[in-house]
Amino acid sequence: MNFLQGSQYLDTGWFGVFSTLLVVFFILYNIARAKKTGGNLFIRRIAGLNAIDDAIGRATEMGRPILMVPGIGDLDAVSVQAVNIFAQVTKTAAQFATPIKLCCARATVYAVAQEVIRDVYSQQGMSDRYSIDSVQYISDQQFAFAAGVSGIILREKVAAAFLLGAFYAESLIFAETCNSIGAIQVAGSTQSTQTPFFIAACDYVLIGDEFYAASAYLTREPVLVGSLLGQDWAKILMTAYVMLGFLIMSAERLQPLAVQRIDEGGVSRMEPYEGEAKRKTASDTMVHRLFNPLITEEMNTIEREPNPDYEGEEEAANAGGGA
Amino acid sequence: MLQFLAQATPPETNFWQQAPGTTGLILGVVGAFIIGMLLFFGLSTIPTQFRRYIIVGFTFLAGLVFVLQYLWPRPINADFEKELPRNAVEGFGAWLGVAIDPVAKTANILAAFLLGLGIFSLMRVHINKIRRRAQDWGFSLILIVSSVIMAIFGFWDWNMRQFNDPEALLTSQENWKFANYVNDALFDGMYQQMDAAMFSMIAFFILSAAYRAFRIRSVEATVMMASALILMLNLMGALTFMWSGWINGLVESTGNQFLTNFDLTVVAGWLRANMQIPAIRAIEFGVGLGALAMGLRLWLGLEKGGVSS
Repeated sequence: MNFLQGSQYLDTGWFGVFSTLLVVFFILYNIARAKKTGGNLFIRRIAGLNAIDDAIGRATEMGRPILMVPGIGDLDAVSVQAVNIFAQVTKTAAQFATPIKLCCARATVYAVAQEVIRDVYSQQGMSDRYSIDSVQYISDQQFAFAAGVSGIILREKVAAAFLLGAFYAESLIFAETCNSIGAIQVAGSTQSTQTPFFIAACDYVLIGDEFYAASAYLTREPVLVGSLLGQDWAKILMTAYVMLGFLIMSAERLQPLAVQRIDEGGVSRMEPYEGEAKRKTASDTMVHRLFNPLITEEMNTIEREPNPDYEGEEEAANAGGGA
Repeated sequence: MLQFLAQATPPETNFWQQAPGTTGLILGVVGAFIIGMLLFFGLSTIPTQFRRYIIVGFTFLAGLVFVLQYLWPRPINADFEKELPRNAVEGFGAWLGVAIDPVAKTANILAAFLLGLGIFSLMRVHINKIRRRAQDWGFSLILIVSSVIMAIFGFWDWNMRQFNDPEALLTSQENWKFANYVNDALFDGMYQQMDAAMFSMIAFFILSAAYRAFRIRSVEATVMMASALILMLNLMGALTFMWSGWINGLVESTGNQFLTNFDLTVVAGWLRANMQIPAIRAIEFGVGLGALAMGLRLWLGLEKGGVSS
């Protein structure tokens, strides 16, 4: 396959790219399938998402605002997903005229969140209930943001807090400040290091990919439900990879070494092994070669026409001639 | 054409290669700013129903560059200053390599515009609060005054160091001027200290959160408490030393090597390697797949509602 002769394929092989494309196919195929069925597919119960309506109801009864924080990450898939969930929360809050506070740490996220929240109010026919103070930019400095949001939590006495997005050390400051005033907290972070803090401090936590499943769960949009199903197929594929990889690698490493891999000067080859009897090492296995392909001299040496416009060496020679 | 795509012979008047401080660069920046502002106001007048198509189109084009960069074969051991691309595939691969940097920088430029919007929002909220004499308006006043003072002295200090100090005399505190002292007092003396104070509060929050989490309310909470206790005890040097001594004594007296598995360090290591790390990896697999699906939906404009609307 001459077309695939790229340096990235020499470095890590074709298997990773092939798997990514397979996952992409799973997602797109299931989106198409869900569109046909109208998204009528089963999604298991997620406690953290069921609690959203309870939290909004509580805030409405108490006449206090709802706080939403999309983390301190830049505008990426995580913050976009957080804003999408907040749009659903705002939709319900708008119907009950419950005030909201959405605090942003990044100007990019702020701009997007402001547009989305304003649109939600106008789609609900309640533009008059939207306040420009509903979405606020606080600061892009981590602890200045933490201090600002904590101040809002304490001053406004929020009844419910949704902490969804990319959080770091400030996660516990928010969660504990909310707890100190008795606010109900629904949290979820894609940072595996912060999830334990949220579990310890919050009432409901979205763990791992539950965060990404949230919009499918709340809206039952066929595209989102299909995408979720595609992710589940991909998880089955990944589990199969792990199991197969473990079995094949273990079986291979139990075999005696007959042909060993030699890596020298950016070129690799398999050579018959004639030394003392021993078992294969990890680098001699087929699983290793799948991610670290053998690179021949021919693959590494590419003949190209010289560039007629290049004058660099000539100039360098002239410059150094007098020395 | 291929040479141009591969930037084999960069034109002398290439915008990206203008020397700092030249008229060409300044004109380029001013021109780009004007074009950007015209585009900005032009796009804001477009009817709402057409905005979605523009957003989807831009997102697809921007995403396409990065997707192609990941999939398109990158030239192997190539130096296109000295050599010519062998074919169109290689030429396009080289062009992609060069294009990534300017495309990524476009995102930074957009972020810079949006930072202005963020500051505008911050000022609007707090000025309104002061004007209405709302509750705690004094804090808003402090915020605005300190922002303005910090910006003035920060810029003054930066300007002095960047342009008026060719011999880098200001690196030594003896040569500092008024602006340098004020900037240092504001940034290192106040801001950094307040930042550290905020960070240190986490220690107390960890304690209160741990107290609530580790109460024995259910089987899961009990398992978590037991695991946490083992890991915490393992961090106490004197205790692990005593425990290891006791276990080693038992092993010597009974001759049963299996007992070494009950060494505190071994148990804690087992919990980390066999419970914590696999669980984190499984979560990260799910998060990665979720991010991929989300990115794909945004790139192809498949999402309806929320951000995509």
